[in-house]
Formats: sequence, structure tokens, C-alpha cells
Amino acid sequence: MAAVSIHQFAQCITCHAWSPDQTMVAICPNNNEVHIYKLMQEKWEKIHILRKHDQIISGIDWSAKSNKIVTVSHDRNSYVWNQESSEWEPTLVILRLNRAALCVQWSPQENKFAVGSGAKTVCICYYEQENNWWVSKLIRKKHNSSVTSVAWHPNNILLATTSTDGKCRVFTTFIRGVDSRGSGTGLPYDSKFGEQIMQLDLSSSWAFAVRWSPSGSTLAYAGHNSMIYFVDEVGPSPSAQSVSFRDLPLRDVLFVSEKMVIGVGFDCNPLLFMADDMGTWSFVRFLDERKITPLNSKYGSQLLESFTVNQNME
Amino acid sequence: MANPLRSYLTCIRNTLEAAMCLQNFPCQEVERHNKPEVELKTCPELLLNPVLICRNEAEKCLIETSINSLRISIKVKQSDELENILTKKFLRFLSMRAEAFQVLRRKPVQFLPTLHGSKRHCLAHEGYDISFLITNYHCEDMHKHKLIDFIVQFMEDIDKEITELKISVNTRGRLVATEFLKQFI
Repeated sequence: MAAVSIHQFAQCITCHAWSPDQTMVAICPNNNEVHIYKLMQEKWEKIHILRKHDQIISGIDWSAKSNKIVTVSHDRNSYVWNQESSEWEPTLVILRLNRAALCVQWSPQENKFAVGSGAKTVCICYYEQENNWWVSKLIRKKHNSSVTSVAWHPNNILLATTSTDGKCRVFTTFIRGVDSRGSGTGLPYDSKFGEQIMQLDLSSSWAFAVRWSPSGSTLAYAGHNSMIYFVDEVGPSPSAQSVSFRDLPLRDVLFVSEKMVIGVGFDCNPLLFMADDMGTWSFVRFLDERKITPLNSKYGSQLLESFTVNQNME
Repeated sequence: MANPLRSYLTCIRNTLEAAMCLQNFPCQEVERHNKPEVELKTCPELLLNPVLICRNEAEKCLIETSINSLRISIKVKQSDELENILTKKFLRFLSMRAEAFQVLRRKPVQFLPTLHGSKRHCLAHEGYDISFLITNYHCEDMHKHKLIDFIVQFMEDIDKEITELKISVNTRGRLVATEFLKQFI
């Protein structure tokens, strides 16, 4: 399988986000701007440039229902962009950070978003009608290093984070006045803001790219030691699987379904992981064509095997 | 090429390929800074274990990695005093023009890592002859495999260069001596 189509938007893209209908993509071309491209007659056209940050943008997320874009940057600021008529208007976010913001994600109900930062904190931001800005509540003193990734559980309360101290943590983010008690979807925990539900210490190196499966029953994250971790039964007694692979570490992961995960990383080639009927996860194959490396021909043949097996399955 | 050198360079190449997984990472300690962590060493959790690859006592290569930068220090073979002087002068000449090389460090790293991770400052002859500093910005601008090729090619060429310099110095010395001694005939 090879890439379906290739477009060169910029020399280097730091982060990107798709619009809800997938016709537009917002990218950061490794500077302080966000460029929005729209697919028009088989061609990608640049339709907007969002300029407000003054350092490199480290995270973009585009909300699916409310069509808002949130951006975070190394300049310690964040903006929520609203489309008004044809222009995108920024709304201020009071992050109260003293270090760079590194990652951002909208909560499933889109009434909150989480920002991970180099200040070893996570900001949970929500809208304040009176002042027309987004304010934040901070989860402090839980991380020992920068927060590299945040992910919301579908129930809108639980938040998973990974950090460069190698740990993956899960917090409750119940905010009075924003979340209603009933929306906890049967959480057995006493939902208090910023309480740590779980801490996983599986990786010996930096942890990146935490994601929940669509149902929220499985959590996946990647370690810089070329491992990917799958966690079931998130709570007081979680069960975890570590899958190691022989290639370079992953930088981001994506759940395609409950049983299928795609990981992307320093190999410049997406990796496919799948769970069998027993729920055992394993590496299946690369998605893109792999450049032939003559040194490890043995591995190449293994790869070919798994590739043909997979084709038969399909 | 001699076989031992080939395996030494292959080892360095493979280590560099694994180590060069760098990303943009802002400083955790100082506001609005973005510095190579391998140089600052303020946060131990952002550093990986350094790798020391030795071909023999005289030739070694230290690869130190952090989340956003990578430092390669090389000690070039110097079998006698003349080679020592030639290496020093030649590499100093290169270091003074570090801007032109982009990834070259102005000063070579002068300490060896110890088991306990503390820096041990050592005598001048113990330090490295030349150091490279590769940051995530270099990886963004340049191809990773070309960067690795450059380092390995450099190491391959430096030995050749020093040997050639040594031969030319010796030849010149012999010529000068012959010319000088002619007057006594």
C-alpha cells in the first residue's frame, strides 16, 4: 500500500488538524502562523492565515461539532478561533502558564479543552460568558517533567497525559458549573478536579502520544524506547501490554477502531498494530512502501510474509 | 578500506540513526528559551545514556543524546607527536570556521563521561579532538541520512587527510634537509 495522494504544503509541518467535514486542513508550517487549506477541484488552496502567536505553534485542534480551532504555542499563549462570516476571530485564553504550551485537545463535548505544557502542568480551559474569554484550571505538581500529550476519554471527564518523565497518568477533570454530575457516565470515583486516578510507569524513557480507543476502554501510548503500550481496565487495577518493535520510536498514535492502531514516528512510515480475538496486541506491518535496506534482508522477508498474509486476510 | 575501520564506522552510523530522533522541545527551566538540552544538561530526565564507541585506546567516538539535540565527539588516531600536532592544527582550522559547517561545534568536548554520570574534567590530551552538535533545527532543514553520511564521511576522510599531511611534511622535511646539507659537500 502506498500513499493515496501527496501534497507539499510546506518544508516542515509542526502540527495539523482536519476540519469536521475533512475538506479543510489547518497546518503550522514550522513558524508562528496557522495556514488553512481547502480542497477545491482536486487542488489544495490556501484560504486563511491565522496570525496571532509570536512563537512556533505546537498544537492545533479543530472541534468537530462547534467548528472552533484551538491553537497553542511556545509563546505560552493559546487562542480559540471562531469563524465569523468569512474570517477567523481569535478569543483569548487565560492559560496562566510560565512555560511553553506543547499540546492541546478538545474534550468530546467541546465545552473544555486541555493544554499540556513545559511548566509540568496541564490546563483545563472552559469558557466564561461574562468576560468572553476562556479561563483555565491547572493540574499542578503531578508531573515531574513536560507534558507531551493529552487525550480525553469519551465521557468528557477523564483525561490521560504523557510526560517526558516516562509516565502516563489519568486524571479526573470535573469542573463545577461546566460538567453536570450526571454526565460522569457511572464513574465510580469521587469526581474531584485534578485527582489522579492512575499512574503507569511502564516506559523507561519519554512517553508520547496518548490516545483512548473510540469506546474509551483501551488506552494506548508510545515510549521513546520503541515501545507502544496498551492499557485496559483503566482504574485502580489496570492491565497493560507492552509491544516492542525493532524500528525507530513513535511520535503519535491513532485508533482506527477498537482493535486497530496506527502509529507514526521517526521511521517516516506508519506502523499498523492490531489486537487478535484474545485482545493481544502485535505489530502487523508498515503502511507505506518500505525502502529496501540491503543490510537486514532477513527482516525484509519477515515483513513480506506478514504483508502477504495480510493481503489474504483482506 | 581496512575492515576494522569499516565496522567501526558502521557501528557509528547505526548508533547515529537510532540516536537522531530529535524534536522541537522548549526549555523547561527558562521562560521562552529553546536551547540544546545536551549542552545545558539542566534536566537529567531529558538526556539519554551517552554511547562511547572505541576502536582502540586512541580512536573513539562519544555520542550524547537529548530530546532535542545530539552531540558527537571524535578522538582521531594520533600515533606520534607529528600526527598529534597536525591533527590539532587541522581540526582547529576547521573549528574556527564552524559556521560554514553548521553542525560543527566551536570547541571540542573536553570531558569523558564517568559511570556515575558526573563530569570529570581531564587532561587536555584526554579530551576529544572535534565535536559536532546536531539540533532538531538541523534535522528539519536537512535530510537525516545526509547528515549521518556527512559525519561518517568526515571520519573516513580525516584519517586520510592526516596521513597525507604527514607524508607531505616528511617529504618537505627531507627536501629541506637535503638542500641544507648540500652546502657541506
